Amino acid sequence: MAYDIKAVKQQWEAHETPLVWGRYPVEHEPIRRHCHMLDDCNPRFLQDGQCPPVMVDFFASLGPWPPADYDIFPLIASIPTPGDRLINLSQEFEWFRPVRVGDRLGARHKVVSVHQRGTKPDPLSVWIKTETTIVNQHEDVVAVRTNQILVHRTPEEIAAETSRA
Amino acid sequence: MTETVGRVWDDVREGEEMAGFSLELTATRMVLQVSGTQDVYPVHHDPAFARAAGHADIFLNTAFIRGCLCRLLTDWMGPDGFLKSLSFQMRKPNLMGETISVRGRVKKKRPEGRVDVEAWIETPGGATVVSTASVLLPEKAGVSRSEGR
Repeated sequence: MAYDIKAVKQQWEAHETPLVWGRYPVEHEPIRRHCHMLDDCNPRFLQDGQCPPVMVDFFASLGPWPPADYDIFPLIASIPTPGDRLINLSQEFEWFRPVRVGDRLGARHKVVSVHQRGTKPDPLSVWIKTETTIVNQHEDVVAVRTNQILVHRTPEEIAAETSRA
Repeated sequence: MTETVGRVWDDVREGEEMAGFSLELTATRMVLQVSGTQDVYPVHHDPAFARAAGHADIFLNTAFIRGCLCRLLTDWMGPDGFLKSLSFQMRKPNLMGETISVRGRVKKKRPEGRVDVEAWIETPGGATVVSTASVLLPEKAGVSRSEGR
């Protein structure tokens, strides 16, 4: 059966998930691991308890344990697409408030757009744009993030599809 | 790390280069990536999985890349600045074995302490990530931006 992008768009564009709180509060140890991976010695993060701005969605997420999809991945996986391999092409953040160790963060996600446009790896690639709103324990918005995700098939899947046609 | 000196808007010059840094993407660094981001999607740590998807090797994930840009910007802006926005496009994968350089410069000074910046990540083969950002800096009159707006 042919992939029906119009039906997918109609069903999924503007779809929103409910607010889900992060599994853990903002903690120092993950902030330090983040800094260590980057050789980032900034005392604001390592000692003073400020959350690196780019970690707000990390703490607003359920995280990968137990092994499961998290953040926008369950939403992306719910949207029918020819393939299931993901590439995050771009991201935008706007921040409104600082976050500190001890804060509690949560997120809701929205599908902004879905469209199909062929790419070099896959002529049936699907482009999904999402918007994530991150709030603190007072439900004040601390950041808004958008992602442009590309969903594609593997070369083997494309070859198999081509040989069947 | 340049955090120790607070930067004020008045002293910023358009075209000013930021102190960048380089990181070698060794196998150990790729492990630190998974530890630091908790991103266990196999394309970032399992070479066989990455190659089956058509990639040359495992490559850096989004959280590591934006962490590099964040380090560049927060080091530069100092303790009283506020990172207001960051936008970036990942044009090519940053593969294990490469050395990345993270660079930036001031693009435009705007009123109310705002500074627009362009930043990028490059390898010897060219830019792999391009980015724009805005930061809010205190002015000499003593207006702190660190609480955001």
